[in-house]
Amino acid sequence: MTYDTSDKTRRTVLKTVGAAGVVGVAGCLGGDDSSESDNGDGNGGDDQEDRDRSDQNRVPHATIAINDDPTRDDWNHYGGVTPYWTNILEPLVWVSNEMELVPWLATEWEQTGERTWEFSLREGVQFHNGEEVTADEVVFSFENILDEYVWAPGWLHLESGNIEALDTHLVEFTTTDPFPTFPGTIAHNMVAIQHPDRDHTEDRVIGTGPFQVEEIEQHQEVRTSAFEDYWNDEPILEELTFRVIEDPNTRTLSLENREIDVALAPPRSRIASIESDDSLYLDRQSRPGAGYVGINIHKSPTDDVALRQALNHAISQETIVDTILEGVGDPGRGPISPIIYWSAHDEITDYEKDDDLGAELVSESGYDGETLEILVANDLVDGREMAQVIQGSLDGIGVNSDIQVLERAAYSEAERDGEAHLILKESGSNSGDADYIIYEGFHSEGDVNQRLYEEEGTGLHNLGGEVDDLIEQGFQTGDEDEKAAAYKEAQQHIADEAVTIPLYYSEFIAAAHENIDGANLGAVPQFSRWTDLEHWE
Amino acid sequence: MWKFVLQRSVSAVFVLFGVSVLTFLLVFFTPGDPAETILRQQMGGQTPSAEAIQQFRSDQGLNDPIPVQYVDWVTSILQGDLGQSYHSDSSVTQLIIDNLWPTFELALAGMAVALLIAVPTGVISAVHKGGRLDYGSQLAALLGLSMPNFWLGYLLMLVFAIYLSVLPTSGYGTIDQLVLPAITLGTGMAAIITRLLRSSMLEVLDEEYIRTARSKGLRERIVVYKHALRNALIPVITIVGLQFGYLLNGAVIIEIVFQRPGLGRLLIDSIFARDYPIVQGLVLVIAVLFVVTNFLVDVAYRYVDPRISFEGAPK
Repeated sequence: MTYDTSDKTRRTVLKTVGAAGVVGVAGCLGGDDSSESDNGDGNGGDDQEDRDRSDQNRVPHATIAINDDPTRDDWNHYGGVTPYWTNILEPLVWVSNEMELVPWLATEWEQTGERTWEFSLREGVQFHNGEEVTADEVVFSFENILDEYVWAPGWLHLESGNIEALDTHLVEFTTTDPFPTFPGTIAHNMVAIQHPDRDHTEDRVIGTGPFQVEEIEQHQEVRTSAFEDYWNDEPILEELTFRVIEDPNTRTLSLENREIDVALAPPRSRIASIESDDSLYLDRQSRPGAGYVGINIHKSPTDDVALRQALNHAISQETIVDTILEGVGDPGRGPISPIIYWSAHDEITDYEKDDDLGAELVSESGYDGETLEILVANDLVDGREMAQVIQGSLDGIGVNSDIQVLERAAYSEAERDGEAHLILKESGSNSGDADYIIYEGFHSEGDVNQRLYEEEGTGLHNLGGEVDDLIEQGFQTGDEDEKAAAYKEAQQHIADEAVTIPLYYSEFIAAAHENIDGANLGAVPQFSRWTDLEHWE
Repeated sequence: MWKFVLQRSVSAVFVLFGVSVLTFLLVFFTPGDPAETILRQQMGGQTPSAEAIQQFRSDQGLNDPIPVQYVDWVTSILQGDLGQSYHSDSSVTQLIIDNLWPTFELALAGMAVALLIAVPTGVISAVHKGGRLDYGSQLAALLGLSMPNFWLGYLLMLVFAIYLSVLPTSGYGTIDQLVLPAITLGTGMAAIITRLLRSSMLEVLDEEYIRTARSKGLRERIVVYKHALRNALIPVITIVGLQFGYLLNGAVIIEIVFQRPGLGRLLIDSIFARDYPIVQGLVLVIAVLFVVTNFLVDVAYRYVDPRISFEGAPK
């Protein structure tokens, strides 16, 4: 077997293609939302037209290396392939890069009662086996998820038997309780619509997506081909392979070796070398997530607001982003990423780095030199290094701290039991419903507070009272402005009371060969679109 | 000999019983609720509801008292059933079978690489004791021992995949995808075997029968390779056997760096995912592999050199 060694000559050719190409390359894969392309994902991805490709030919295939095994047994229920990344299966509702809901297999939806929703299906959409999508398959798909995953009923607020086909293209959902974020919650690949004939023992995944399965090599790769009868814009590539390479360094080396064309999530430590390689480029996409230090406001001494404000003044977000994160991500100002429309990023209190003010606040507080525990999960990328910077910064204002790194499951337990003062964490939504982030993080009955709240009436990062009311108000309203106003006020309280130390807003990165154009990284990266992907010689 | 085999078999059963109890208890004392961890992972990081967690616990029998769970587990193992993964409908037995061959293949190839390097190097080093070749090979062995596997893996990728473009960086299924992992795995072991063989050879070369062989006028090559090496290999067999057992555990780092399936990787992934049935089943299988390998090594040892006896075994 031989491997492509013609890279250097190609590099030389590409260099001469011109400066326009370089400009196009810089932002090639995403972020540009200027195009109103009719694929409806709000991210046209055709910003590479500047590039002169006249002397090059299109190659019909490409390979994308992902960091998660797409053939894991968890996905047997979809026929053996993950609905994430692969574009084989699609949900009723999509989410744009601005976290807005986009009609997908459903063209419209309407709340018809306090607990009922009607979704009209797009007509003429075909499954990969040639059959048309009707309400029956939608009912089947939802029932199947409710049946397969014990968490699904609670997550979707649905129970088996509550999904009904009203006619061929109309489905009614009755939620178990009033659930205003239902459409956002199902804007998620986990609730992909599939044909009942899918069968993982025969590697048969039957969805409606632009790519259909050709071959599955367990734990190695999934080869797909373009689906000619795709209802939306047909893919440009004829074949697309998804290969799993979990080790980030190996993924990048495979890209450099041209075994793959796109490497998702390369290690931050390799960014400089990717950027200095003329044949590679880096794409970035903001995610609806943020890294922050959650402060345990019910444990002494961090129950003192002056001390919490002091801690905020000790940290320089810019330093963390520039040094530890190698420039991936933006300095954070609150716990909610600004790509979520109701984020109050620009308006909430900003604690600027000021050691003198920090030290002053420390002496005003009741802090008596106690050591603060900083809890970090071992799988948070660069978490340990970030914790060290935070520790150093706290030293600067006279606050002692100790870092405790725990394996993820143990971390999760320790966090919920309120064992630490400071908890380094990254939050984010992986569906169109971003309300989840504020509810789970800051409502008394949200994920992180619930255990202690129920047991002792305390919690971790919950302020309770008015903030709970505001979060509930935002959660329950269908009106975007009202939601934004309620959440903004809640975020202002969170900032004033210094419940968190914001660190950064997350970005997802991918590295690609210069001869790859048009990938659309999604705001939720797992929902990235590959229909515009082009591969040039 | 048969009495020896019987005694070893009985002790093996006790060892395995001990392992089963320890494994079973250990996973229950590990922090992190499996129900919550598994569900959270399936939900892509989102939080499962308390009802979902309760439902999962009762579906999987996690609410039963630990002794009851242990008895249930052992009973089904005795019936040949290692249980089901919490994550999917896959049986633990099937998962182990699926991952056994890739690990076995890697261990075998790694061992072949190790022996190919170690046997000639160890012999040359002993024969040229104190010379340049000896120092050179000792230095190489030291390097091989101290180099972390993952680092060597990346280094080999850089050289053979990126610069020379003769081998792929990663993957599983073809021979060329096996070369770099086998070299990575084999090098560390080669270093151990080289050092052992060298000292063993030096000892043997000092023996009287070697002097006798030389004095009979046999060619040095015959003396070294036929008479000395054969006897010097005896301790090496033990190490090779034990190391092979260790390799069968799966060289986790290598499996991760080169993106290969295997038992080591399955174990690590399952521990992090708190997929207890896999962890328990796999640890038990690994213990069996170890016990069996040790047993075979002892028997082989005795077979190669009948003078070797075992405590309690007939002389």
